[in-house]
Amino acid sequence: MNHDQSRRNFLKLGGAALAAGTVGAAAGATGAAIAGPSGSAAVASGAKASLPKAKGPRLVVVGGGTSGLTIAKYAKREYPKFDVVLVEKRDMYSSCFSSNLWYAGLINLEFLADHSFLDAAKNNDYIYFNATVTGLDRAGRKLITSEGEIDYDFLVLAPGISYDYEKIGVKDPEAVAALRQTYPGGFVSPTEHVSIHRKVREFEGGVFLQTVPSGNYRCLPAPYERACMIASVIKRNKLKGKVLVLDANPEITIKQAGFHAAFDELYKDIIEWRPSSPVTGVDVGKKLVHTEFDAIPFDDAAIYANVRASTLIEKLGLMAPPSKSNQKEANVDTRFYNVAGDLRVYVTGDSRPQPYSKSANTSNTEGHHVARMLAARAQGKEPVWAAPRTICYSMVNAAPMEAISVDAGYDYDAAKDEITGFSKDTRTFEKRDAARGQATLEWARGIYRDMFEA
Amino acid sequence: MDRRQFVEICAGAVAALAAGTQPSLADGIQDYPGAKLVDAQGAPLKASELATDQAYLFHYPFNGVPCFLINLGKAGADDGRHARPGGAGTSGRLVSYVAICTHQLSYPNRATSVIRYAAEGSELAGKPGMIVCCAHGSVFDPSAGARKVSGPAEQPLVAVRLQHDPSDDSLSATGIAGSELIGRFFNAYKADLIAQYGPGVYRQSVGDTATAVPLDSYSGVVPRC
Repeated sequence: MNHDQSRRNFLKLGGAALAAGTVGAAAGATGAAIAGPSGSAAVASGAKASLPKAKGPRLVVVGGGTSGLTIAKYAKREYPKFDVVLVEKRDMYSSCFSSNLWYAGLINLEFLADHSFLDAAKNNDYIYFNATVTGLDRAGRKLITSEGEIDYDFLVLAPGISYDYEKIGVKDPEAVAALRQTYPGGFVSPTEHVSIHRKVREFEGGVFLQTVPSGNYRCLPAPYERACMIASVIKRNKLKGKVLVLDANPEITIKQAGFHAAFDELYKDIIEWRPSSPVTGVDVGKKLVHTEFDAIPFDDAAIYANVRASTLIEKLGLMAPPSKSNQKEANVDTRFYNVAGDLRVYVTGDSRPQPYSKSANTSNTEGHHVARMLAARAQGKEPVWAAPRTICYSMVNAAPMEAISVDAGYDYDAAKDEITGFSKDTRTFEKRDAARGQATLEWARGIYRDMFEA
Repeated sequence: MDRRQFVEICAGAVAALAAGTQPSLADGIQDYPGAKLVDAQGAPLKASELATDQAYLFHYPFNGVPCFLINLGKAGADDGRHARPGGAGTSGRLVSYVAICTHQLSYPNRATSVIRYAAEGSELAGKPGMIVCCAHGSVFDPSAGARKVSGPAEQPLVAVRLQHDPSDDSLSATGIAGSELIGRFFNAYKADLIAQYGPGVYRQSVGDTATAVPLDSYSGVVPRC
């Protein structure tokens, strides 16, 4: 990896954090109660959720993804007095990470989904509560859900990301609905993975379009990895077809050397990568994708729109001002994740505004740190900051399995109160090999174990 | 009598005294019934004949718990300050650890082992003689109690006490440093361990002997990272 290049990329992605010092500019600690649920007055009228009485300070964690599952487990471990409730709207887990491997048949769906919320909660002594969050009353310390209100002492919101289709020129709700159902990005919900898996299996040739958005999108290497996985299926099935990678960025955003080598050496006539080609519109009916100068036909597609914090963060009134995040993310303390001016409410995982990689290993390691911070705060102690770590594998060859990887840390500048870049000990491993191919699978299994087992 | 021999005999004596009681030896090792290390044909391993290029894999104190036996060779003897216990064998260069990564529990099975002793060095470790786990990049120093050198692990690997019998140059495992990790390991992999060993078998004692074979011949794929 060219260092200047990677640093430039980092800074570009890190634009979000440029004004991270403006703590307290938004709603204060005792800000007015946030509007309740939209259109569910029955549950907003004070009905309590059916939960056991809290046996200690109640920590409510919203979101059963990598961040929420890690925090629920480790906060309880760090401070056993915590009474932890994990609120998750899904009733079945399936991971976003590793889903690309499924498209090439390297893993099955069980690999992603054979992990139970019930077991995670039982193994780690917390409560899994299957409900959807609809509102928040910060003054009254109540979380409002589809299953009633939950009083909290501490609240962690880890709802992940939503797509920002406006940024790829798709604004009309009808067009957005058609696009997200017909050509899903595959980076938010498991049902998108199932659709893309079907698309790849049923692809008979022609152009399979994979777009790469600008900004700090979830899992920087993933669209390129997916291009490799789809290309491997095209190669295996000897199809007359190609993967067209329309990249909004001027260069591959991470592990450039490793991906370029894979594109050139493994998929020379199968992957066509076009840099600096942001999508400006999609015509779903005509199967046309628009860029500034072109209208490009395709046969099937996974269209990855830009990424923003979950719309839940906006609904709850916790958005950072544009000066702090340029892609609609939460307004939290750079080091300790609490909402500006409110030491009881935290936003973690991919809704955060810090320019960290939005990836599983980042959220997992961050979760361990946040658990310690919460334990400290609950006991009236000073929390200690630590940077998350981004260990991330990308499978670039399916037969045999070969991968490349990166192991990145981050630097914090106290004077600016900013995350300023990758730390010095950041390393990339861009020569694909079978060792990393095996490690890619074990990497994921390790994170599942860390979240679901005791 | 050199110091190493003294330590060995001493540990053995204490073990004998403490047999059948709760843990709590001076070396922090919990006693389990001893198992003599044997090769694939059932002949006792000879401490002075162990290869240095890779770890041997055996199971102890239960059928499902993988352990490394490592001849540090020129990589250096344990300095005795960190390891629990210090190395065994005539040169003090034999050490043993439970082969389960303390980070997220990766371990050697018949198909694959992403954790190994990289005698010759590795890209991950950047130097020879380290135990590396490819899953998330933890590196442990077997000559210093398998303390973490780099990577995400927070705990050292769990030490296994080896006892050397100078009369026939044989080796026995006689205890491990704590069972908390083993409990977590059994819970996390219960279904896999039942499939590999049979219901309940993985948590039964290994008996009088434990078969130790080179890791490369135990696991089909041992990635170099």
